[in-house]
Amino acid sequence: MHVVGPRAPGEVSNPAKPAYRVLVIDDDDCVGAAIKVTLARRNGETELASRAYAGIEALESSRFDVVLVDLFMPGMSGLDAISYIRRQSGIPIIAMSGFRLRDSRNSIDYLGMAMQRGASACICKPFAPQQLIEAIDRSFLLASSTTGSMQ
Amino acid sequence: MTKGISNADQADEMKIGYPSVERARAANEVGAAIAHALNGPLTALLLYVSDLNQNSDRFPAGDSDGQSLKQVAENALRETERVCFLMQRIADAFETPLQEETAIAQGREVIRWLARVGEDGESVEHATPVAQEPLTAREREVLRLVIEGCTNKEGGKRLQISYRTFESHRAHLMRKLGAKNAVDLLKLALLMPETLSDTPPTDATSIKAVQA
Repeated sequence: MHVVGPRAPGEVSNPAKPAYRVLVIDDDDCVGAAIKVTLARRNGETELASRAYAGIEALESSRFDVVLVDLFMPGMSGLDAISYIRRQSGIPIIAMSGFRLRDSRNSIDYLGMAMQRGASACICKPFAPQQLIEAIDRSFLLASSTTGSMQ
Repeated sequence: MTKGISNADQADEMKIGYPSVERARAANEVGAAIAHALNGPLTALLLYVSDLNQNSDRFPAGDSDGQSLKQVAENALRETERVCFLMQRIADAFETPLQEETAIAQGREVIRWLARVGEDGESVEHATPVAQEPLTAREREVLRLVIEGCTNKEGGKRLQISYRTFESHRAHLMRKLGAKNAVDLLKLALLMPETLSDTPPTDATSIKAVQA
């Protein structure tokens, strides 16, 4: 249903070979654990990092197809992590943030800032599996349209 | 707490009925802190319950009561979605003209401290969440000077402010960045040069100005 090339996160029948690798950078481990279960059903392999530095190290030492970054973490913030990752590579980045950080009159538009710093898509917590899949699809689509082919 | 809080449906009235700015701020912080503390677990819950529902065809058929697991999973999803919606409303209800992001940051800070102290030996200082508050222009100047190796006295002189003021800016920006010492600041500056530069969208006002 959301097929975008070979690594599309839609339902795939053969779970033996992960179709795409996902890194979740979030200090709240329960979020990453749930994302892992959700994506495993769709042939995705998920790894977790609970700090931005650890996530950046993981990105440098291993290949991932997409990275999800929580905006608010102790240590290096998600926004700064996005800037740093974007300088290093064209990997699709999805920014995640919580309640209240969506557009509202007086609030700072963190997701807008994330997009400005190079995020490919953003998603507000709490999100349903469908929203997660769609955000990943969007980020893949954007990556394939801006860089030609992402192999 | 006031009687307004007893009924979520009166959330809109509460905004008008605040007796004082202090109370508004307190309510704002509590609401934002609760919403933020529950954000992660609610996200996980919604994903898990959705997963159960999407795989409910594997559940055994209903028992003699006619209460199938499938139905239970559907109910669980509906209630989870309702909690998410209510939480969003609780968070939104506390909107005041005050610095809400600061309130969120402070509230979250308190909860994280409480949650982390003693956990895997992390100290309170280490657990301090950071960098949600952008540095001010002055703090960026101070950061640049600290990285150049200026002492508080030298830095104060160069910015024509007292060394105590310089020291206070320095303490403030270190707290914001979660740096424990000058080495942390240096690492940070190497990894994130934009922290030091004047032009990037490190603060919200600059973004709003650009967008306006």
